[in-house]
Amino acid sequence: MEGMKDSRMRLDPRKKYLQTAFNRSMTEVLLMIAKLPSSDRILIEAGTPFIKQYGAKGVQVLRTAWNLKLGKSGYIVADLKTMDRGGKEVEIFAQAGASAVTCLGLAPTETINELIRQCEDSGIDSMVDMMNVEFPFEVLRKLKKLPKVVVLHRGVDEGQGKNAKILPHQEINRIKGAYGHLLISIAGGETERDVVRTYFNGADIAVVWRQFAEMPDQTSDLAKSFLKLIK
Amino acid sequence: MILKKRQKYLHIALNNTLEEAENIISALPVSERILIEAGTPLIKRYGAEAVSRIKGLAPTGAYIVADNKCADMAAREVEMMTNAGASAVTCLGVAPIETINAFIAECKRFEIDSMVDMMNVETPLLVLKSLKKAPDVVILHRGVDESEFSKEKQIPYYQIKQIKGSFDVMVAVAGGDTINEVQRALFNDADIVVVWKNFYQSDANTAELANSFLEQIK
Repeated sequence: MEGMKDSRMRLDPRKKYLQTAFNRSMTEVLLMIAKLPSSDRILIEAGTPFIKQYGAKGVQVLRTAWNLKLGKSGYIVADLKTMDRGGKEVEIFAQAGASAVTCLGLAPTETINELIRQCEDSGIDSMVDMMNVEFPFEVLRKLKKLPKVVVLHRGVDEGQGKNAKILPHQEINRIKGAYGHLLISIAGGETERDVVRTYFNGADIAVVWRQFAEMPDQTSDLAKSFLKLIK
Repeated sequence: MILKKRQKYLHIALNNTLEEAENIISALPVSERILIEAGTPLIKRYGAEAVSRIKGLAPTGAYIVADNKCADMAAREVEMMTNAGASAVTCLGVAPIETINAFIAECKRFEIDSMVDMMNVETPLLVLKSLKKAPDVVILHRGVDESEFSKEKQIPYYQIKQIKGSFDVMVAVAGGDTINEVQRALFNDADIVVVWKNFYQSDANTAELANSFLEQIK
């Protein structure tokens, strides 16, 4: 993207990304960012509770901290989980420096359409979060235009206890088959093995957060091994 | 529950900026039958501060609703909004059942009212039936985007009696722009009517509506 006037970072469909979600207090979040390796293959997410606590200002602070760490413009996801008034929320967060915002797949179709439209207008990426949606493919089919990214969640495998999180293979294949250019993000991975498996199954972005809430050092280790293992 | 079961309430949602919120609040009559909401866009724009600032602007003891529309991590959001001074918080009816259950339990623990917003839920009764405990308030409405882009979608009045017949809850519905529309919602057995300022209206319109509500609805 060098040479372009717009210095905003774009996602490269040939690359794999690790997205880390931040939900703790501002001070802790800033300390955690300092611990992350400096790479533009790491995406920084302002989590929903973080946004509800600090508002658009919180996203601005993350944007500044991450840009400083990278030495250039990085990628910030504002996990708005929009349910209504799609256009309005996008405007506020595009101004605050978000590179992408999320909308709930459970929201009315009109809201998802409006959010995607406003994201295009504002020059940022739209992500539709399929949390609690049984058939994400059916949601996508109803939209006027597709979002840039679809966020799928790992299911809990009842048979194997709480720690075994299964990937929604079928949905990934169905979506990739029908809409090849859509990027897929998988939420809910917690271990190195989870993250690596995510990419082997066709995902472009792996979202991790639980360890980050509990063990910041381990997540920064996870980020380092991600950069080594996945090219 | 903080709200009184047999009382009718007007619930005023503030969605734009804190400056506008201040203008509207200062023009409002003082009454315990008026509930003031920090709307979702306001909370996302200013964070939990939106709730504490609105509480500060409102008359002492006013009932403040934080429309955080919780979809996940209920305990975290309820605590945050309670600390900011909310009397009630909202959770999405489309959220996972575990989230809604945790949300209602946390509201009980913090002694604030729980409101479940049934936006985009086809059969609210089914959601209520799968919960461990019913919330204090059920909100029935269409989204703003939905109503703007698909005008044929109506407020589901018939669901009010259905829900109140099966559960001991209060029902809130979106009420439109005029006192006639507010009255229509109340005739249909709603307990709380939610209104907000449209962008083409002046801040004073909301106060006028509140005054006619207090005069005409007892």
